[in-house]
Amino acid sequence: MNQGDILRVDNLVTSFDTEFGRLRAVDQVSFTLGKGRTLGVVGESGCGKSVTALSIMRLLPKPSGVIESGEIRFHGEDITKISNVEMRRIRGKKISMIFQEPMTALNPVHKIGKQIQEVFQLHFPEMGKQETMQNVVRSLKDVGIPDPEKRINEYPHQISGGMRQRVMIAMALACRPDILIADEPTTALDVTIQAQILELMDRLKKEINMSVIFITHDLGVIADICDDVLVMYAGNVVETAPVFSLFEDPKHPYTQGLLSSIPRLETPRKTRLPIIEGMVPSIQELPQGCRFQNRCPDVMEICRAQSPEMTVVGQDHSARCYLYSNP
Amino acid sequence: MTAYLIRRLLLIIPTFLGITIMAFTITRFVPGGPIERMIAEARMQKTGLSSTRPLAGDQTQPLSEEQIQELKKYYGFDKPILVSYFFWLGKVLTGDLGVSTRYYDPVWDMIRDRIPISLYFGSISLLLVYGVCIPLGITKAIRHKTQFDNISSIIVFIGYAIPGWVVGVLLLIIFASQWEIFPLGGFVSDDFQDMTVFGKVWDLILHTILPLIAYMVGSFTVMTFLMKNTLMDHLASDYVRTAIAKGLSFESAVFRHALRNSLIPMATHFGNNISLILMGSFLIEKVFNINGMGLLGYESVVERDYPVVMGILVISSFLFMVGNILSDICVAIVDPRVTFE
Ligand SMILES: Nc1ncnc2c1ncn2[C@@H]1O[C@H](COP(=O)(O)OP(=O)(O)OP(=O)(O)O)[C@@H](O)[C@H]1O
Ligand SMILES: [Mg+2]
Repeated sequence: MNQGDILRVDNLVTSFDTEFGRLRAVDQVSFTLGKGRTLGVVGESGCGKSVTALSIMRLLPKPSGVIESGEIRFHGEDITKISNVEMRRIRGKKISMIFQEPMTALNPVHKIGKQIQEVFQLHFPEMGKQETMQNVVRSLKDVGIPDPEKRINEYPHQISGGMRQRVMIAMALACRPDILIADEPTTALDVTIQAQILELMDRLKKEINMSVIFITHDLGVIADICDDVLVMYAGNVVETAPVFSLFEDPKHPYTQGLLSSIPRLETPRKTRLPIIEGMVPSIQELPQGCRFQNRCPDVMEICRAQSPEMTVVGQDHSARCYLYSNP
Repeated sequence: MTAYLIRRLLLIIPTFLGITIMAFTITRFVPGGPIERMIAEARMQKTGLSSTRPLAGDQTQPLSEEQIQELKKYYGFDKPILVSYFFWLGKVLTGDLGVSTRYYDPVWDMIRDRIPISLYFGSISLLLVYGVCIPLGITKAIRHKTQFDNISSIIVFIGYAIPGWVVGVLLLIIFASQWEIFPLGGFVSDDFQDMTVFGKVWDLILHTILPLIAYMVGSFTVMTFLMKNTLMDHLASDYVRTAIAKGLSFESAVFRHALRNSLIPMATHFGNNISLILMGSFLIEKVFNINGMGLLGYESVVERDYPVVMGILVISSFLFMVGNILSDICVAIVDPRVTFE
């Protein structure tokens, strides 16, 4: 583990017990997260981004979801092994998470103030009532909610989606966590609100020097706010690189496909954007060999026979592809 | 809130008028009304009391036209429906529900005698249904698919599959007849007056248990499963996940977050349960020989004792509407999204 790394995931395997048997939603995922850095996680729907995040939080749906093997080292300690009680002290205090749906993520029957206050009560039980309330108000102010003294007495249905996501962020950042995991936090919001929330997250991140895992479909967002990128495909990591190298010189054919499907200003209008043909194989019927073979423009003989390993292809840059490694 | 309540209370009036007009009209057209009964009785006396069945072809009219007119006038049948309806309504508004055509007792007195019994069974079952079903449903949801959950589901479902009065009969056969643990029925023993206070209480309890079980089985199952299923839905909800992500334990997330949300449908059912349980069930009351409202209502329908039928209807529709308002208030207490605007 590097000095600056705050989280290191090693060969994480997370499975679900389903009617089709035990399925691996996340397979041999490894990555590191540096202190104060933002790691973007991209990939098509169903590739295991959320499951990876939930595994780190140990919030997998019970009893079907299990971490089968691998390590998740937080400050060097493997949090897959610690007790539930110890994990509870980490959740919400050291590692926080915000979710995609601000509409349903807050409890409809409790006031906003009460829901934020609960975080302080949990993690700082010695804090007095008055101080807690001051902190609640401050945390709402931090996320740019006007009139926080008034808002604390409102219920989630009384405020807009963007405001709710701000409340979620306020709640997640209440204890100044080391890591914030944001699972598509802006997908459900409209574009202007999206930009505001991203800016807010970026500012707060710098203020408290926290690390962020940012899950998204949107490569534009990645380019804006991330330092490093993790590209996932069908439960695997297929490429990881600093954001600059990834956009400059994508290695994996899947990453290349994703990047070429972003509209750019310099492309003339009306040209059709290339899309990646075909479908992601479902985790029930993964092919032998490389999981991207059926859609890969550069597919070779070997890809159908054997699975490639992650190979170093540049400075902090690796890809899982036989174009860069010999079997 | 106050404005809402006033509006709801005012709404009682048209609803009440609607229900009673309908029932009143039906009593006019259903065959076998009080006059026909009089005629039949008179005919029976003439033919010598031998048989309740009139002989075939016996169309002789035992009462004179004059007498019939007199009867019609007495019961208000000589006027058009609406006129006699408003006549009846006017009396109801002064608190006069009329006189039973069967016993010639004031209807209100007959109902008043039954109210304590129905209220007694009704409120105890309501208390037990909510007091037991909510914790039972919670436990079942938390221990979903464990042995406790499975076994209790089986028992509760058997109770649901059998109608309450059949449960009553079975209970009587097993616990009152076979093993003689409980009395065979009635509200209290015959020698109740001579008992000590403790004896009276004990006697009442013994008489209460079996009918209470029979009364409760239906709503008990519904409410238990309602509680369990809504709680399970909420346990899988996003906001419970948020609560756990904050650092709450699963148990605290259940009790501080999921529970209150799951009580909303329980509160919605409250009004329904009130009127259902307070009005009793004539079959169960028949089985246990309890003189509650259910039995009175049933008998008066069969005997075409219309003033009593209408009297019970007045009270039950009133209860029903008050129950609905109570439901709304309960829902508004647990769910802040509901406002009385
Ligand atoms: N509770 C579950 N039971 C069974 N399988 C599950 C469960 N949750 C997720 N999966 C499976 O795990 C795989 C990864 O799902 P995941 O939610 O991580 O995808 P994702 O990358 O977050 O997609 P999206 O972009 O749509 O959010 C999917 O194939 C999904 O079917
Ligand atoms: Mg997801």
